[in-house]
Amino acid sequence: MQDIRIKDLPPPHGGKIVERIVRDPQMARRLMEKCSAVYDIKPNFFKGVPIRNVYREIMSVCYGFFSPVEGSMTKAELESVLNKRRLLSGWVFPYPILFDVSEEDFKRLGVGPGDWLLLRLKGEPFAILEIEEVYEINPQDIAIRTFGTPEKNPEVVKVPFDHKHTGYNIYCSLNPIILAGKYTIINEPKLRPPFNRFWYPPKKAREEFKRRGWTTVIAHQTRNVPHTGHEALMKMAAYIGDIKPCDGIVVNAIIGAKRIGDFPDEAIVEAHEMLHLAGYIKPERHMVTITLWDMRYGNPIESLLHAVIRQNMGISWHMFGRDHAALGDYYDVYATQILWSKGIPSFGFDAPPYAVPGGFYIRPQNIAEFWYCPKCKEFAYSDNCTHKGIYSRYSGSFIRGLLNEGVTPPPEIYRPEVYKVVVKWWKELGYPFNNEKYLKEREEKLEVDLPHMDMPEHLKKKIV
Amino acid sequence: MAKYFGIIIDEKRMTAIKGTSLEEKVEPIFGGALKRLVIEVSDELGQKVIDQFSKARFDARGFIEETPAAFKRLVFKKLVELKFLGPEVLEKALEEIPTIKDEIEKEDRELPVPDIDISDILELQKNPIQKPIE
Repeated sequence: MQDIRIKDLPPPHGGKIVERIVRDPQMARRLMEKCSAVYDIKPNFFKGVPIRNVYREIMSVCYGFFSPVEGSMTKAELESVLNKRRLLSGWVFPYPILFDVSEEDFKRLGVGPGDWLLLRLKGEPFAILEIEEVYEINPQDIAIRTFGTPEKNPEVVKVPFDHKHTGYNIYCSLNPIILAGKYTIINEPKLRPPFNRFWYPPKKAREEFKRRGWTTVIAHQTRNVPHTGHEALMKMAAYIGDIKPCDGIVVNAIIGAKRIGDFPDEAIVEAHEMLHLAGYIKPERHMVTITLWDMRYGNPIESLLHAVIRQNMGISWHMFGRDHAALGDYYDVYATQILWSKGIPSFGFDAPPYAVPGGFYIRPQNIAEFWYCPKCKEFAYSDNCTHKGIYSRYSGSFIRGLLNEGVTPPPEIYRPEVYKVVVKWWKELGYPFNNEKYLKEREEKLEVDLPHMDMPEHLKKKIV
Repeated sequence: MAKYFGIIIDEKRMTAIKGTSLEEKVEPIFGGALKRLVIEVSDELGQKVIDQFSKARFDARGFIEETPAAFKRLVFKKLVELKFLGPEVLEKALEEIPTIKDEIEKEDRELPVPDIDISDILELQKNPIQKPIE
């Protein structure tokens, strides 16, 4: 008789976890000697507001979250991703990962294929880019092709993307010159509180799961302070497993420059943590983790990146809800679930992403919706409860509206302790949501600090 | 498809509509933890509201959300004046947006912090279960 128990964590996407980090200072020094210029990493702006910082992508590549991607994509790789959502190696990957510079900076750098470029962050050496290829892009073309159009992707794209969409703006704001090649971090950044206690790159996450004895783990994607509907989703979705429910529920928060009006990341991670500190989910079963990434809000496309990240972390199932990682009504509200139940041929998936060559081991747990039903006396699942007119549906926008008006969300919406975490960061930052001031200050501070590292003499006059 | 504009009715607002036909249209949500009035509008009018504010959008329920609190106060004021739960209320409010421009701009920079005791969660956070890993 077949043993149906799951005894191991899933393999990394692409077969092995990328880890491109040099921890030996002598080796770092030798690598810097080979560099011919220095580039200070700068954020990309849209209408004066920072919306992306490539350092987050470098971190996610080098720590293996995006395995098997190893760096900024070549032109051929970029085309493969945009046309088929596949790397040249055949592994599924959804988004362009690019190191972009302005024409002016490119001229000043004076580098080309074969050169190594030292990348500085916050004034300190951070990483090296081994330049393999230099090419030009049309940022708006990349933006349109990344997210799709109603004409080319009629299965799920309802209206054309425009400048109300943060992810679209991220690609539109790219600089036109791409330096393609592998990244290597040579000066390991230190995560700042509160993010440091949630930093579990794939290798560490897998070690932690093994230490806890977990083999069945389910992921919860978040960009939000958890309301009671999210909590119900996490608990109920985790009933999937092998001979018992999942050992672990892993919340993975996307940390980066998000849209104005979202909650600040500090509040998001601590509010999720509060669910176990206040005893709503046992901490032995619940872990909060982060990934550095400036969210693209790409609904089905973003869900593919989530699968890459979480499978690399050692997670076997992924919760996909209504409006997954979405913003506005560009996509069908169930676009992600369409992708993960039957595929979206126009995006390169004539079958779900776990059933195509180069696809995933991770499996979807497509969840319709939880709502609050006073008649059922529970956070009811929409496929169970029929009490129309009695139940109340959750809406993150509605809850943010309550806070805006000074209304305390009742415990049916937020656990009191979770709301207090929101208030804590409201006091600390002076505002409950991301606004221009927060996003600008955040980009100055970032989530990391870097130890001091001396640069070789020959580079000190070649800083751009 | 119709769109909706919800207005939360707290005690103060309930007093303002007491005895009017609006009072009986107040509906409980989240098991009575909150109360609200809902104005149903056309897609076109809904979009017109959305277009006024950079953060505003339709949520998955078809509600117009993330409009400034100052606008919601204005809509409620018009509601009390017109004593009627129809799209005209939103149309009137749209006409008067210039009168609340300063309030809206201020809202983007500051919102008063709720005066509540958070010492219990600060205590819980002193001993986090997840510690930074080296």
